Amino acid sequence: MADIRLASACVRTADVNPNRQELDNLVTPGDIITSDTGFMRGHGTYMEDDRLHASVAGVVDRVNKLICVRPLKTRYHGEVGDVVVGRIIEVGQRRWKVDTHSKLDSILMLSSVNLPGGELRRRSEEDEKMMRHYLKEGDLISAEVQSLFMDGSLSLHTRSLKYGKLGQGTLVTVSPSLVKRRKTHFHNLPCGATIILGNNGYIWIAPISGEENEDSAGGGYEQNLEPVSRIDREVICRMRNCVLALSQNKMMLFDTSILYTYENSLKFSVSFSFF
Amino acid sequence: MADVLLSDAEKTFILHGIQDNLREDGRGCDDYRHMEIETDVVSNTSGSARLRLANTDVLVGVKAELGVPEPIKPNQGRLEFFVDCSANATPEFEGRGGEVLATEISTILSRAYDNPNALDLKSLSVIPGSQCWILYVDILLLECGGNLFDAASIAVKAALFSTKIPNVSVLKGDEGQMELEISDDPYDVKQLDISSCPCLVTLSKIGYFHVVDASQKEEACCLARVIMGITQTGLVTALKKEGSGSLDPESVFDMMETGKKVGEILGKNLTAVLKEEAALGKKRKLVGFLR
Amino acid sequence: MPIDTRRITGPETSQTPYSFCKEPEKKALLDENQERWDGRSHDQMRPTFLRAGVISQAKGSAYIELNKTKVICAVYGPREITRREEFSMKGQLTCEFKFATFSCQLRRQHQPDNQEKDLSIQLLEALEPAVCLHKFPKAQVNVYATVLENDGSALAAAITCASVALAYAGIEMYDLVLSASLRLAGDIVLLDPSENEEFKPQMDLQVNNGSLTVGYMPSLNQISALTSSGECQLDVLTKAIKLCIENCQKVYPVIQHCLMKSKNLEE
Repeated sequence: MADIRLASACVRTADVNPNRQELDNLVTPGDIITSDTGFMRGHGTYMEDDRLHASVAGVVDRVNKLICVRPLKTRYHGEVGDVVVGRIIEVGQRRWKVDTHSKLDSILMLSSVNLPGGELRRRSEEDEKMMRHYLKEGDLISAEVQSLFMDGSLSLHTRSLKYGKLGQGTLVTVSPSLVKRRKTHFHNLPCGATIILGNNGYIWIAPISGEENEDSAGGGYEQNLEPVSRIDREVICRMRNCVLALSQNKMMLFDTSILYTYENSLKFSVSFSFF
Repeated sequence: MADVLLSDAEKTFILHGIQDNLREDGRGCDDYRHMEIETDVVSNTSGSARLRLANTDVLVGVKAELGVPEPIKPNQGRLEFFVDCSANATPEFEGRGGEVLATEISTILSRAYDNPNALDLKSLSVIPGSQCWILYVDILLLECGGNLFDAASIAVKAALFSTKIPNVSVLKGDEGQMELEISDDPYDVKQLDISSCPCLVTLSKIGYFHVVDASQKEEACCLARVIMGITQTGLVTALKKEGSGSLDPESVFDMMETGKKVGEILGKNLTAVLKEEAALGKKRKLVGFLR
Repeated sequence: MPIDTRRITGPETSQTPYSFCKEPEKKALLDENQERWDGRSHDQMRPTFLRAGVISQAKGSAYIELNKTKVICAVYGPREITRREEFSMKGQLTCEFKFATFSCQLRRQHQPDNQEKDLSIQLLEALEPAVCLHKFPKAQVNVYATVLENDGSALAAAITCASVALAYAGIEMYDLVLSASLRLAGDIVLLDPSENEEFKPQMDLQVNNGSLTVGYMPSLNQISALTSSGECQLDVLTKAIKLCIENCQKVYPVIQHCLMKSKNLEE
């Protein structure tokens, strides 16, 4: 009920895995990467006195002539086509501002969402007034990065039926670098939960919904607020804890790794929490 | 407080989970998250403790100083609580941002300790009416992950447990004035009896049910909570309703019942773990702030 | 502590001369016949005087007198929020609880001390559940409660007084908030304690020694404020809360009547 332990008695991750591979190409800001001028300067580096220095702490990455430093911990750098999970934080003029764990707030234009009543409908003034009705502050969405603005902020779109407002479920935030880029980031896992691995490190775990009524009048904005069954809930809890466990041990997240963790965790009771 | 935004559907999910007695992280309604505690972490203090309750991180330092007792309690020492909401925890605390929260935590703590049985303040008196020990209990919030009240009170109790106050002898000087001689032997110290110090237990009402140790997400779903100061023997030393909602009398009684039950266990477990640490003595491995 | 440049402050610390008396006069809680010093029975409240509409310029106001405890309360608004932070369709309620500098045995400072800040929050949290905040979006209502003379149960008096002032101001409310307080001392339960009956921590060791204040909404049957200090057993406290609620229900018609009468006087 109330479990208190001594800090010294807790097992540290480093103790568990002593023979973890040490990375040899780690650099800190200011480190000279190379004095060879034949290379091209990428992200996380700067040039001074004809020498290439690192500007962030991280791992040196070389692709042909291009040298970049991938930071250890970073906010999300968006790329066109990425699947993201975001939270609406502001309703503005014909646009929503969305928190996607990137440096700047992302933008979701009214013109790049599906509205009830078919895809090819014109956006009327009426729709503008109804914006808070569709998505309001705090709502979660899944979306795709449509384009990048000059300042690096993202423009999102939800113009596909797989994107849109998210219903019941739980959100876990991990470092974006732990989410493995795959062909698909939407998974209906066989254990009975659906998971969206946002490229931005926001991970959405929800019960598997029944067959979506594709041309429903709600357009995906109506939410099912019926209680989730206890069995589904346990699966979601367990998966949440699995994702957190993986993230705490800096393991890459993708469907197989999560599923394996899940299966291995079945011998423990669900009521164990890392966070 | 550092609030998190939640959508209506997420709130519904949390609410139904509590109805099922299965919370988002797999806990039941009466369960605390795991806690890690360590005492004597700051060498410049008379006593200190650091508590980590999931993402909530609290550091408490106790400093004992000689000062003047309050005129209405001339033969007692003093106990003062200060809370510092560090901007390290969240940028919202910058400047005066955390002031309201800080006052709330310090007032409820001083209220919970404000009874003659909680801590023997008479033993802190040096010369009645003119000199006494003042215990400055400074609470530093390093990270906010929900349930700050409980975490702060547990850390305070642990810090008081580890507090060592040097022994003082009063000598009659010439011409009748008093002279104090403070022992500089680190082993010539007295320790406080914390067996009846209270811990705070916060019960958050979410939907028709209540939970202990609400996470940040759960706090966002909660409109009214009851904070109780509970001693190990189950006595209630402080009671306060907090939040913008109101509560049914019956549910208040239910919550108090749970609070007492959980508080007793919490206090006992804490004392046990502190004794365990003290028993380790020099063999103790200091963890400090490395994680 | 910031310095208030507009006032000439007294010396930084000062003390009442009474604390230097040789033997501070220690009055027992009850007299030799186990009666209260002011002649009330244990479960008897002090005679209450309450009137709404005492400050003509405020939107609403009320004055309450429990023998020597006197609280005046003013309500301003709804009016535009000066510093708006986030978009919200809810109105804002602010409360300030202030002891007049001369109201207590010891002199108080102009600047709110910790106790006053704490009481302000408690007053706010007692009233907030009762006010229909969604009825005045983007606007704020300010409640100011000033204790003119403190002879115990000041918070309870202020809660009742402020809710009457809010009702008188025509602010939409779900219910009135009434409040009662009591003192526990062993087996003795004293309703509506006066200053020297209130719980003070330096008193002798004893279990079930403490005081309790409850704010209650009678028609909704909801507790909106609950605060206790001192050390009590759970069942004793539960019984005490019930007693407070009972008492709030008892005074409810009287308060309603008073509000009606004040409104009639005006029209």
